Amino acid sequence: MTTSEALTKPKMTIDGQVVEFEPGDTIMRAAERARVDKTIPRFCYHPGLPVAGTCRMCAVEVEKAPKLMTACSTPAADGMVVLTQSDRVRKSRSGVMEMLLANHPLDCPVCDQAGECSLQDYSYEYGPSKSEFKEDKRVWKEATTKALSERLTLNMNRCIHCERCVRFTEDVTKTNELLMDNRGWHKELTTALDEGMFNEYQGNVADICPVGAITFNDFRFQKRVWFLKEKVGICDGCAKGCSIYADEEKGTVHRYRARFNAEVNKHWICDEGRMSFHRYQNAERVIHPLLSASGSLNATTWETVVPWLLSEMKKARRILLLIGTDASSEEAATIAQMLPSFSSADFVVRSWNGTNGVQSSVDDAALDHLLRRRDHTSNTRGIESLGIKPWNSATEQNFDLAIYFRCGRATLPPVMAQKEIAWGVFDLPEIQRFAAVLPGLSTLEKFGTYTNCDQVTQSFEIVVKGPGGTASVRKVLDGMKLKSSTPVREVVRDTI
Amino acid sequence: MVQVEKLLTQHNDVEGSHTIDVYRSLGGYKALEKALAMTPESIVDEVKKSNLRGRGGAGFPTGMKWSFMPKAPTFPDGRPKPKYLVCNADEGEPGTFKDRLLMTKHPHMLIEGMIVAAHAIGASRGFIYIRGEFVFETKRVEDAIVEARKMGLLGTKVSGTDWSFDLVVYRGAGAYICGEETALLNSLEGKRGEPRLKPPFPAMVGAFGMPTCVNNVETFCAVPTIINDGAAKFASVGTERSGGTRLFCVSGEIEKPGVYELPINVNLNDLIAHCGGVLGGKKLKAVIPGGASAPMLSAAETDVAMDFDSLAKAGTMAGSGGVIVISEDTCIVEVAARLLKFYEHESCGQCSQCREGSHWLARMFHRIEIGQGTEADLNAIAGICSNMAGQTICAFSDAVTGPALSSVRKFRHEFEEHVRLKRCPCKPEGHVPKHDHHASATL
Repeated sequence: MTTSEALTKPKMTIDGQVVEFEPGDTIMRAAERARVDKTIPRFCYHPGLPVAGTCRMCAVEVEKAPKLMTACSTPAADGMVVLTQSDRVRKSRSGVMEMLLANHPLDCPVCDQAGECSLQDYSYEYGPSKSEFKEDKRVWKEATTKALSERLTLNMNRCIHCERCVRFTEDVTKTNELLMDNRGWHKELTTALDEGMFNEYQGNVADICPVGAITFNDFRFQKRVWFLKEKVGICDGCAKGCSIYADEEKGTVHRYRARFNAEVNKHWICDEGRMSFHRYQNAERVIHPLLSASGSLNATTWETVVPWLLSEMKKARRILLLIGTDASSEEAATIAQMLPSFSSADFVVRSWNGTNGVQSSVDDAALDHLLRRRDHTSNTRGIESLGIKPWNSATEQNFDLAIYFRCGRATLPPVMAQKEIAWGVFDLPEIQRFAAVLPGLSTLEKFGTYTNCDQVTQSFEIVVKGPGGTASVRKVLDGMKLKSSTPVREVVRDTI
Repeated sequence: MVQVEKLLTQHNDVEGSHTIDVYRSLGGYKALEKALAMTPESIVDEVKKSNLRGRGGAGFPTGMKWSFMPKAPTFPDGRPKPKYLVCNADEGEPGTFKDRLLMTKHPHMLIEGMIVAAHAIGASRGFIYIRGEFVFETKRVEDAIVEARKMGLLGTKVSGTDWSFDLVVYRGAGAYICGEETALLNSLEGKRGEPRLKPPFPAMVGAFGMPTCVNNVETFCAVPTIINDGAAKFASVGTERSGGTRLFCVSGEIEKPGVYELPINVNLNDLIAHCGGVLGGKKLKAVIPGGASAPMLSAAETDVAMDFDSLAKAGTMAGSGGVIVISEDTCIVEVAARLLKFYEHESCGQCSQCREGSHWLARMFHRIEIGQGTEADLNAIAGICSNMAGQTICAFSDAVTGPALSSVRKFRHEFEEHVRLKRCPCKPEGHVPKHDHHASATL
């Protein structure tokens, strides 16, 4: 083999377009890699699951092959000529659609999947406009609304038997909770145990279900999907930092979905993370500045609380600034650098994590073979890389003022000082001990970067506006600058 | 008159033919002795020369199948991979009952054939996958294996050679689809009996991921006679492309139903005459020549040789050798509806078209049978079948379309009469069919 031969990748022709592919690719992978104009329709194929080749929707015409070949399972070969839109292929797809729709209830108006349903989409594109099917449709009486677990609801009548869900519990979670009962036309999805499903990644089953058979209870009937705007984000539920889509409408996030990220989470996210956005849309979240007066915390304005904070900082001799490991790297860097400039006190900057007894990334560990981490904060590695050390509550004491900056799941630290100030995202039941609360922004409401447990740094953007009177770190510091007579050092503020 | 030359079942009537002593006294295990002295390649060559084609239904040349087995497969780390031999004794095709006879009367012939085959392909272990309902046959085969082991023909050092081979009997759990070789392998592994995607073929990735060769009972039973008497003799019977005799299972409306060993290319008319003709001297209406999956032949088409190629040319298939004879008194719509009910029940349900289509056809045919069909239904059948045949992982959906298409094409007038009269003309008025299984689609 000459050098030039070794460097040329194998080529095939898909719909007249010459594309390169990697050895080992299937026709489907090669087509995806080359982003051919028309995607090959599929039901049972999912890039994160083993190939089943059973729905037959991806069957394509391969030159010299007598039968249509399933793109998902047929290996690509050098010089192969594939037609994905020929009459023969379209006729076969129409046949599959007619078969799948024969016993499908066609209840799109009341189905939660409508608008993001493969069956619906392909029906428009390939399905026959009428059907010869005149028999009674198959109805599973018991399994029309059946709980697979507390989190998932099954409507077996809508199922097209692609078995992605079964393969997911077999191959991804390796919990084997789902199986098909009976055979053929009677084939019914069921849980292996009467107790139902128990894995921590059930939401993915609803994500990969191409139809409305399996829906995630947390989102079921909450919103028609065509109202939702798909925004990209990062889940801040643990140190893994999975890539997500946050689907939002008018400032309210309605769900998270997994976003493919080969480095971090592949195609999946855990249920805890999937439902974690509720934390920031909680009625108990403090969204206006609070200041204590005569023993209780009362609502106040930023105009009052910022000067008050400045004066407290000036009065104090020894101040602890405790930064939760759920702050973005930019926020942490900025406040660690800027806050001390407003005061002549002895300023100690430390980090706090506290979830599941985790103090630093050394205590972190995987909770299973997939994604979940022991550390429930999103940026432990990032804060560490700024050189901020964890607070040792036993040895580092005697502060007369403490400011605790926290935006996510870092726990409340033990008592830090006589006067404590909460800055960031807090809920009402947590704040009794604080002298003031400065409401900040959660991951959904700001942009910044997190570094995950595997040292992968990812940036995230604003999904929704901060609620009520919440303010960004930059705004607060700008306010302090205006009120302060002390000249402040320049910092790179554009990053927060 | 049919020329009767028996190669497998000549000792059917010998008392105790299933025991090793009687089998040996009739010349049994001579082929094994001879084969152990031959090289594996020469055994494969001999089988190739005999023109033996698989008797399970597909009719694939056996010698060629054996030659596909890799010579010395290894794991990535260099250790040698074991090779497996599997006997498909999941005789499930409606109308087929030859393997049952072979296992009952000649289990040692099967064992001998398997040992020779294993020697030819270098297998270390064989599995006999027996249909679950065959309780007695399983016992027979198991007893025979114990006998063979005692004689040193199985186990470590087969017949004093350095080669070890043993057999394991595995009982199926009653699914027709487990007769499909890859569904059988899945079932053997303890998984759902669903056919696998091919490639990879079993010769590369078979039972438990190892190279595997799967053959039918009758195929294995033909091996000893090929080795004993030479490929030439076996090949002299039958046609150029398909040698030997075949066990035809003749059932339905026939005077003398049963298993008949005849040259593989016997004429269908001669075969029917050989079995005493149609029951009660009635007129022939149709014949299913190769088990339920084979498209029907009308009475006008029965002048055909029964070998694989001739039947394929006639638009049907030799299949598993199950010949079902249908007389003028039988309603063809009822026959087709009954067959489709079977397929609806047995579809594994993996592939979309087969799962939904087999059920659709079953219900439609049932409706037509009880007089609720329409002309539009009759016209829709071909369309449904074209969406099924050749579109799925295995050949099951092709099998479904066999009886569906052939019945409505060849006997359309009977279907039309059902539609016109709004009842079955073969039944008294008000007759309710027995298999009224679709009263409700609610599960």
